[in-house]
Amino acid sequence: MKVRIYDPAMCCSSGMCGPDLDPALVKMNDAVLSLKKQGVEVERYNLAQQPKDFMDNKLVAELLHKNGKKALPVVMVNGELFKTGEYPSYENLCKALDIEPLKQGRPMTLI
Amino acid sequence: MAKYIFFSGKGGVGKTTMACATAVYLALSGNKTLIVTTDPASNLADVFEQEIGHKVTPIKGVGVIYPQGTAHESPLHAMEIDPDEATREYKEGIIGPLREIMPDDVIASIEENLSGACTTEMASFDRFIDFMGTADEYDVVIFDTAPTGHTIRLLELPVDWSKHIEESAEGSGQTCLGPVRSIQGSKEKYDRAISLLRDPAETNFIFVMRPEELSLYETIRASRELAAIGINTGEIIINGIYPEEACEVDFFKKKFLVQQDVIKETEKLIDRPKRYMLLRDNEVKGIEALKDVAEELFHEVSAHGSKKMSFSGRSDPSRRSASDLTGESSSSFLDSPIKSGNDGQWTRKTDIDHLWLPHDKQTKALFFTGKGGVGKTTVSCITALHMADKGFKTLLVTTDPAAHIGEVLGKKVGTEPSEITDNLYAVMIDQETAFREYKEKVLNDARGKYSEDMLSAMEEELNSPCIEEMAAFEKFAQFIESRDYDLLVFDTAPTGHTLRLLDLPFDYARQMEIMVDASSGSSVTGNITKERFGKIIDMLRDSSRTVFTLVLYPESTPIEESYRAMIDLKKAGVETQLVIANMVLPEKVCTNDFFRSRRNMQIHYLNKINDKFKLPVAIYPLMDEEIKGIEQLRSVSMELGHR
Repeated sequence: MKVRIYDPAMCCSSGMCGPDLDPALVKMNDAVLSLKKQGVEVERYNLAQQPKDFMDNKLVAELLHKNGKKALPVVMVNGELFKTGEYPSYENLCKALDIEPLKQGRPMTLI
Repeated sequence: MAKYIFFSGKGGVGKTTMACATAVYLALSGNKTLIVTTDPASNLADVFEQEIGHKVTPIKGVGVIYPQGTAHESPLHAMEIDPDEATREYKEGIIGPLREIMPDDVIASIEENLSGACTTEMASFDRFIDFMGTADEYDVVIFDTAPTGHTIRLLELPVDWSKHIEESAEGSGQTCLGPVRSIQGSKEKYDRAISLLRDPAETNFIFVMRPEELSLYETIRASRELAAIGINTGEIIINGIYPEEACEVDFFKKKFLVQQDVIKETEKLIDRPKRYMLLRDNEVKGIEALKDVAEELFHEVSAHGSKKMSFSGRSDPSRRSASDLTGESSSSFLDSPIKSGNDGQWTRKTDIDHLWLPHDKQTKALFFTGKGGVGKTTVSCITALHMADKGFKTLLVTTDPAAHIGEVLGKKVGTEPSEITDNLYAVMIDQETAFREYKEKVLNDARGKYSEDMLSAMEEELNSPCIEEMAAFEKFAQFIESRDYDLLVFDTAPTGHTLRLLDLPFDYARQMEIMVDASSGSSVTGNITKERFGKIIDMLRDSSRTVFTLVLYPESTPIEESYRAMIDLKKAGVETQLVIANMVLPEKVCTNDFFRSRRNMQIHYLNKINDKFKLPVAIYPLMDEEIKGIEQLRSVSMELGHR
């Protein structure tokens, strides 16, 4: 089980480097932490820091060429395109991975 | 001999001169020598009297052993690391290969993200480290480093970073600098640099100081900080000692004796080899002058009580005879009709008062900036007290890490505003405290909102060195936004640092645009932050609400540095409004050739200031003793003609 997230250009993965937290990034981070707990392999790529990885992935590169930076984030599940232009929810990711969402001990943002 | 020699010390202590003299000396002794400055406001070019810039450049006039005298055969090379240029190179290294294959808006978004303060730090540091690892073609590499605080941070970075990198490797795998796997190579580079820095056989750390109490404590503090990260101070150079023979007037005799006390204290407190350098009657410029300094530095075992009239024959006779001031006999220095060339006019103290008055009951911010040692703190204290006495509720804020503001005010100043006297309050921004508070605040806000896992992820991100800058700025922003005072007087940190600090809102505003953009929905918090920084920017750019004053003393280095500061501020949309020329030698006390020559040098530079800055210039005289306490501040303020 593998999830790849191609993030837009950011200072850091969790959105903690800016003066404020971006709720969308916080939610994504929550989801990533949960998935990792469930044994899902999650890889994140930041456009500002690993642009080469974006180019090496044919699908992501094509999306970028076609739609520009609006295509980001791109989320892939088990090698297939899952979502582009916005972050998916934890529940939808679980569905795509065919696993039960965690009920207890789930990292979750309360805002 | 150590291969790497670092010259450290506060701005204005003569660090560059000592570094350059050492470089010339070693080069002439047959060592292939490279001198590098990491100071964003470098003046290497001024000292060598030739263009250098952001590339390794052969220095002319040192390669005497080569008959052809061809430039590239010079045993001495120099480079001024330009932080902007280093950043551009660093960015281009990342973006360049992508240009052909990525759409423009994608390239633009990467580029904007690389425009933060982080990238600048990283890029300069990277350049600096390069010279430590791979400079095999040189026998010795001399670093004329940036002022102490900055240097320490620069040197601490590899420690912080490699720790940060290790921690992150176990956590999210991401750091502020880039993903772990792409900087593992850099970690080795940093570790190697640290081990070189810690090895006294490889690295010699020389501190340059002035025989002044403040400079002594600064030196002790800085060498302790270095010791804490495993780097030991090699030698101390005490520079700028008044020659006893020249101090026959009470004014200077007093200063001479104070210096001698500080020298004795230095000998007692710092157990390191010391070299003693006398004050010169003129500035050091050009290879010949540097050779002369090297002679004093390396060959004379100069005791500070040396009877040698070291200044004789060193003054520039043309300047001495060009004196347009001899024959003046006015009793007060301020009344001296100093000529400013044909067009300019020296501003009287009363003319600058209106700059400091708040308009329409709006809070006004007064910034005093300039390199270390120019007397910013004293000038800010005088101004703040003067305005408080006039009935304006005034807060004095210092961002100088080496705050001796409490000493000047005669009252303890802490990290919360406290009352000093009627209408006058003071506060100190301490980087470490600010960092701790910021971290606590963010984590406290997060507790209850986020899971434990998320909290530890956040904590990890918060330990990045970039957050330290942000925390200090956050504190600074809080005071800027405060409407509890009529006037905010900022005794800022040395120029380069201040500019970075002031540049942050601009960077963050850009950052916020990206972030608001990046999130799928509209980020409400992001917009609030954007608006907040927008307001701060507006205030800094509004010349009726903010006044930037450059404080300097009339010598080449501070003028060049201040000028660059003014240009940088202009680039950020901020206009400088006033120059204060501090520590000008009063004419009546300059009774011998030595001090007349120094005063003539100062006047030469006062004229230059007028021509170069095209701003009102206020002149503050050199004091015969350090100002301590409110009463003394008041009487100085009166002497200056404040009403």
